[in-house]
Amino acid sequence: MSTPAPPPAAEKKTLTIVFDGKPIEVPPGINLIEAAKLAGIEIPHFCFHPRLSVVGQCRMCLVEIEGIPKIQAACTTPIKDGLAVKTTTEKVRQSRAANMEFLLINHPLDCPICDQAGECKLQDNAFGYGEQRSRYDERKRQYAGYDRTMIGPHVVADMTRCIQCTRCIRFCEEIAGTGELTFLDRGGRTLVWTHDGKPLANDWSACAADVCPVGALTTKEFRFRRRVWELKKTPSVCPGCNIGCNISIENRDSVVYRFLPRLNPAVNDYWLCDYGRFLSESLNARDVSKATVRHASEVRDAVVPAAVERIASEIRSTIETEGPSAIFFLGSAHLSNEENFLLRKIADHVGCGNRDVVVDRSRVRRMKSKTEWIEGDHAGANYAGARDMGLSPGPGAHGLADVLEGKWTPQVVVAADASFAAAADDPEKVGRLRSARFLAVAARTENALTRAADVVLPAASLAQKEGSFTNVQGRVQWFQRAFLAPPPARAHWDLLLLLGVALGWGDRTWTPADIRGRIREEVEGYDEVTEEELAGGGLMRKGLFVSTGAV
Amino acid sequence: MTSEPVLLARVGRDRSQAIDTYLADGGYGALKKVLTGGWTPEAVTEEVKKSGLRGRGGAGFPTGVKWGFVPKDTKGKPVYLLCNADESEPGTFKDRLLMEEDPHQMLEGQILSAYALKCRTSYIYIRGEFFHGARVLQRAIDEAYEKGFLGENILGSRFSHDITVHRGAGAYICGEETGLIESLEGKRGQPRIKPPFPAVVGVFGAPTIVNNVETLCCVTHVVNRGADWFAKIGRNEKNTGPKLYCLSGHVNRPGVYEAPMGLQMKELLFGEDYGRGMKDGRKVKAVIPGGASAAMLTAKEIEDCPLDFDGLAAKKSMLGSAAIIVMNEDTCIVDAATNLAKFFSHESCGQCTPCREGTPWLHRVLSRIEGGDGRAEDVELLEKISNQMANGMTICVFSDAAIAPVLSSIEKFRDEYRYHVENKRCLVGPRAEAIPVTA
Repeated sequence: MSTPAPPPAAEKKTLTIVFDGKPIEVPPGINLIEAAKLAGIEIPHFCFHPRLSVVGQCRMCLVEIEGIPKIQAACTTPIKDGLAVKTTTEKVRQSRAANMEFLLINHPLDCPICDQAGECKLQDNAFGYGEQRSRYDERKRQYAGYDRTMIGPHVVADMTRCIQCTRCIRFCEEIAGTGELTFLDRGGRTLVWTHDGKPLANDWSACAADVCPVGALTTKEFRFRRRVWELKKTPSVCPGCNIGCNISIENRDSVVYRFLPRLNPAVNDYWLCDYGRFLSESLNARDVSKATVRHASEVRDAVVPAAVERIASEIRSTIETEGPSAIFFLGSAHLSNEENFLLRKIADHVGCGNRDVVVDRSRVRRMKSKTEWIEGDHAGANYAGARDMGLSPGPGAHGLADVLEGKWTPQVVVAADASFAAAADDPEKVGRLRSARFLAVAARTENALTRAADVVLPAASLAQKEGSFTNVQGRVQWFQRAFLAPPPARAHWDLLLLLGVALGWGDRTWTPADIRGRIREEVEGYDEVTEEELAGGGLMRKGLFVSTGAV
Repeated sequence: MTSEPVLLARVGRDRSQAIDTYLADGGYGALKKVLTGGWTPEAVTEEVKKSGLRGRGGAGFPTGVKWGFVPKDTKGKPVYLLCNADESEPGTFKDRLLMEEDPHQMLEGQILSAYALKCRTSYIYIRGEFFHGARVLQRAIDEAYEKGFLGENILGSRFSHDITVHRGAGAYICGEETGLIESLEGKRGQPRIKPPFPAVVGVFGAPTIVNNVETLCCVTHVVNRGADWFAKIGRNEKNTGPKLYCLSGHVNRPGVYEAPMGLQMKELLFGEDYGRGMKDGRKVKAVIPGGASAAMLTAKEIEDCPLDFDGLAAKKSMLGSAAIIVMNEDTCIVDAATNLAKFFSHESCGQCTPCREGTPWLHRVLSRIEGGDGRAEDVELLEKISNQMANGMTICVFSDAAIAPVLSSIEKFRDEYRYHVENKRCLVGPRAEAIPVTA
């Protein structure tokens, strides 16, 4: 691709829009709702969504425009230079109040039992722009047979709450491209439902519930579990595949209740796939709550430092007797760059080139960024990052394939994450790893590998640690800690630091930020991976990005 | 003010639908004149502009001017002409008559209009219930193809044209031109946001002109007999040509009548050639002059009331589809308004909040008043609901139409509403005690 010539100054033209007497420069191609937002003015709306077609149906965004006698919908008004918009006039106030009244006359107002309460646009706009009381005291509309009904594997529909904004219909039509939803009937009987009762079963179906401004579409998984205002939101990255969709982990105390997509136009935009979204529950699993060490045939509990010391001593003695090439370090695409970096550095420190990372090729998952479809094909979020950190066999050294195919048997295996692949639960493959004299893993959930291991260290979940992943595009993204791992479980990086220090490398006081500092210095392409950059939606690692090949 | 019939000249004659009788009466003469007489498309448009022909569908927009809105450069896109035959305004039944009785008159006008618009393919969007009309039209189209008035190189000229009949599925809103376009494209019939207007972006994303059946019939005569002849018919230069009036309600002789534009309302109701007076000698109470969406007029207001676009606009109502619905003194006005509100509540497409929620609400409050459960504040409530539904609150003017009968009936018959609320019954009509109920 050739570098585009810098546009001439004339093309970078902005438009001047006057909001309530205050002029503001806005870029062309946006609508009045977005322009107002830039001016710090909120224009209430329901049906407008930045990524969906503009339909102008909810009529909530009405504003006055100088020179036009009738009130206009801000979302559909063509934007042009010099437009003078009034958002605070009595006419505008009345129109908003009128629309709120209309929207609420048939709404059940069942906020106390509605999951949307707290993040409901109807609630917010009623509070902000509605009148205190309604003049409607007729029987409210009911949709018998169309309430509290599953319309797909995840989405529950309750048409009595619907405000007919068509966001969900447009999402399925325009983003998912599957068009399961449609308007049925007309007038005051209009409802949203699936065509011919076929399920809403596209790969992103729960996004229909995300875009729903009210409680008409909710997800089966989150329904009735928590009031949303009790949840803490933490920016994170979806662990589902190497697309690395930006999410927000929502937890209360030490329970993760849901993932929500977090806006990143370059990756997942406003969306999240169902597979990734509903991995949230898996973060709550914990089978390994203590460090264990095997003595002969007996497995005993141990404190973490002692268990780590046991691994270190095995490594030391193996180096003495057989040399470092009898050791095998196995990283993981589920671990962060920082953690994989530590593992690599430990391997280097002891002079071992037998290192690898493996993860299952998964079904290709697709995600629509603002501009394009991105495909992810590895089950781990950080396959690219683990490779970048150098977790490939060194020259003449062995990799995991050699072990699994029986070509080479290491004496000591250090698997930094027990859930590295489906191989970790395959008895035959575990048998190959187990043929080592000593096998150590860090783990949160139990599997065939942990059951076979000599030392098991209790590790943190994604929600319990901080770090960065590099996605399929080469974009380095930050995930932050939502809450602490229940002691004695620790983040993988913390366990690895313990091991490194026990082997005479590293510093116990390092944090992930310190480790990132070393990554900046040592890893090619990562010299600009700073917290500032990470906080702004991630950054592309530099250099020719080598696609993550199959292993 | 009677004169020779133009639009209805052939209606009622034996086999008036057949092409041979149409040709015998000089039919397709206008088309021959244009295609073999060296008329340019612009000349046809100019003639229509000069005639002062205004759209007969309801809005009364000058037809030639509308045609002029098609961009000169269509960027390679075709231009489409759609005949709006979705006649569904309550009280309107003129287009049906024209299509069922004299389809070739309309087809000729449509082909001429298509020529003026340089349009290769046009559609007739016909109301789904007009099954017979659709059949008659299709037969007429087949005949026109046979005789070479449709198809490739019509009458040996370089102009080719095809017409397709598309039946609607029973929605009033598909008579609104952008609703019609959506429906024709196979989508749910709901109006589009304007701009862009159909003349720029219409059906299948191409420039589109939508004309009413009667308008297209008029085009035939404008071309055939000249713009000057056409412009001389009618009350003044802004309201020209022959007009069909649909008279219904409590008159002795309801029906479709043709008269020069601007016929006096009294003449239509009482004239010997028209309605022949009120049934059973009752008095006029109210008249809806232009279909359900037009504001009601009182008996006093129909004095000196020319039935044309400007005459009715001066009385804050409209000619609309020229559906004159006459109500006598025994008509309960609240009942009538409730009936109309029910219609609009049933026909709202449901996309905009104020209309979707407002139309059923109006109907409920009106039903409550009519049913004897009205409250003192209800009349004011009706006005308030109505006022927050219209004037830009919605995408199309459906809700403006829906509130017209409500607001006009309240304004003109407020006492009757008050009587309902206070006495829990009708002032007149079958639910009023004042009138003895006959077995």
